[in-house]
Amino acid sequence: MAYLELKNVHKTFGNVKAVNDFTLDINKGKLVSFLGPSGCGKTTTLRMIAGFEQPDEGTIQLDNEDITIVSPNQRDIGMVFQAYALFPNMSVRQNIAFGLKMKKTPKVEIEKRVDEVLEMVRLKDTAKRYPHQLSGGQQQRIALARALAVRPRVLLLDEPLSALDAEVRVALRGEIRRIQSDLAITTVYVTHDQEEALSISDQVVVMENGVIQQVGTPQEIYRAPQTRFVATFIGTANQFFGKVGGESEVQCSGLSISTRKLSDFTKGQEVVVLVRPELISVNTSQPSADAGNIIEGIVETVTFHGAVTRLGVHMNQQRVVADITVNSAESISLNQTVWLSFKPEVCKVMAVAE
Amino acid sequence: MRMNKLFRSIVLVLFLLFMLVPLIATFLFSISTRWDRTILPEGFTLEWWKKVISRGAFGLTLKNSFYISFATSIALTILVTPTAYWVHIRAPKSKVIFEIMSAFSFGIPGVILALALIRFYSGIPVPLINTTNILLLACMELCFPFMYRPVANALDSIDIHTLTEASQSLGGNWISTFIHVILPNIFPGIASGFLLVFSTVFAEFTLTNLLVGARFKTFPIYLVEFTRFDGRQASALAIISFVVAWVVSLLLLLISGKRTITSDNLTIGH
Repeated sequence: MAYLELKNVHKTFGNVKAVNDFTLDINKGKLVSFLGPSGCGKTTTLRMIAGFEQPDEGTIQLDNEDITIVSPNQRDIGMVFQAYALFPNMSVRQNIAFGLKMKKTPKVEIEKRVDEVLEMVRLKDTAKRYPHQLSGGQQQRIALARALAVRPRVLLLDEPLSALDAEVRVALRGEIRRIQSDLAITTVYVTHDQEEALSISDQVVVMENGVIQQVGTPQEIYRAPQTRFVATFIGTANQFFGKVGGESEVQCSGLSISTRKLSDFTKGQEVVVLVRPELISVNTSQPSADAGNIIEGIVETVTFHGAVTRLGVHMNQQRVVADITVNSAESISLNQTVWLSFKPEVCKVMAVAE
Repeated sequence: MRMNKLFRSIVLVLFLLFMLVPLIATFLFSISTRWDRTILPEGFTLEWWKKVISRGAFGLTLKNSFYISFATSIALTILVTPTAYWVHIRAPKSKVIFEIMSAFSFGIPGVILALALIRFYSGIPVPLINTTNILLLACMELCFPFMYRPVANALDSIDIHTLTEASQSLGGNWISTFIHVILPNIFPGIASGFLLVFSTVFAEFTLTNLLVGARFKTFPIYLVEFTRFDGRQASALAIISFVVAWVVSLLLLLISGKRTITSDNLTIGH
């Protein structure tokens, strides 16, 4: 039995369908990310779980209790905001104690709990300071501590790291994951950053235009995208458009790509072949035929990405990108002719919607 | 660079002269024996101050003015602050109505406002005509924008939506959110609104004169009566009136200053 259940939830603003028939089960203690471009409905869905928005249709259940119309302050759901939203007039200690005070927790207990969560976010010595005396990263950790102090049933995080520097962002997301697993608190995490979603989630929900595109573990989402949107939004994918030519072959313009068996497709059907750049090998001389698909092209761009170097290769009217290690990139220069190769097994074939 | 500095100093000095000379002159006049035949006062005396303060009406009108000023300021604070918050958070579209209402008291001359109020209140079953309460209501209407504007500005300057939601997600209801989270953060706005209302009502003449006239004499009415027979005593009263407004401002600034030391950076995020 799922802990948090959203059933056929709809939400419309004006004539924009923000969330369309959203159904999802979230198990207790898991961290689930809502991932998608801005305007995909992920924040609206989160706000409906929090109670700040009312669904037009559908129900939201928490621990077998229908909370669809319960007001936000009665839901026992903690929330962390993108803009931190610490109360500027209160010290760190007062901020964290606020929720406990609202619940009329005894004073001694409040003190204990505040110390406990401050310890958890490793900011014990900031208790007496005010929000404006803290860095952005510290403020967000205090906001997390404040949300956790009341021991909510569910923790919601609305793009909590978007306002922070890259370095702080990576450190803090690790921290969030550590605390979340320590407490085994059911968590919904909204982000537009795929790397963030893939690195900390038990499950990722990819959304586009208010509709769930795919739900799965980070590995599933990356390795087995079910829609073209997921394949191109998560990571990078080269796209070759064409028609099914044989039982394991796709005919693209001036190019034939061998794939695995295409039993789900009919001959002549319009499809797209997706290949991840890191699964393409780059050869400076023509490889033997057992390398799989081989495409000859000219190196147009060489972009340094740190751990890898990304090559943009031009081959008859199409640009293909391939990632290679920094070492092997040394032997490649601009305008050089190269042979790209990839195995039929790495090709993901999808039907092109009419 | 140096020219620039010099220019700034000159502007500042001229401005201060413009603001202070009338005040200083009024004060000098109130302590002069005579100052109508010579360039400088002929001599100095505290006689006018003694005379003006020793009258029974002095204490009474001062008390009346304090009463009406405080009553209006407090009533408006209680009425406007929660309303402005509610409008900002729940009914932002009706902000425009409040803006229009804010313009009313500037657009309508006091005489018309007073007569309209008398006609209106004489038509309703609550007996308000000829009571102090009608003055209180009139002053509240007159001063509404002075309270609303600073409070609205303060509300605009903080992220009240997110703060409200943060409070709610922690179990706060509307009332506790307003008292513990919103009020302290818009306190400087409320303080300056209070101040503007207080000083406006303290110096209010037209409405008081027309609505309650001789039955409820306020300090400005007392002052105007004096100008008819002795400018020097009237000057003493004017200085007192100014000092009162000044002291009240100072007190409020002190209070709101103390509150903002702990929260002088009200921006959320960076």
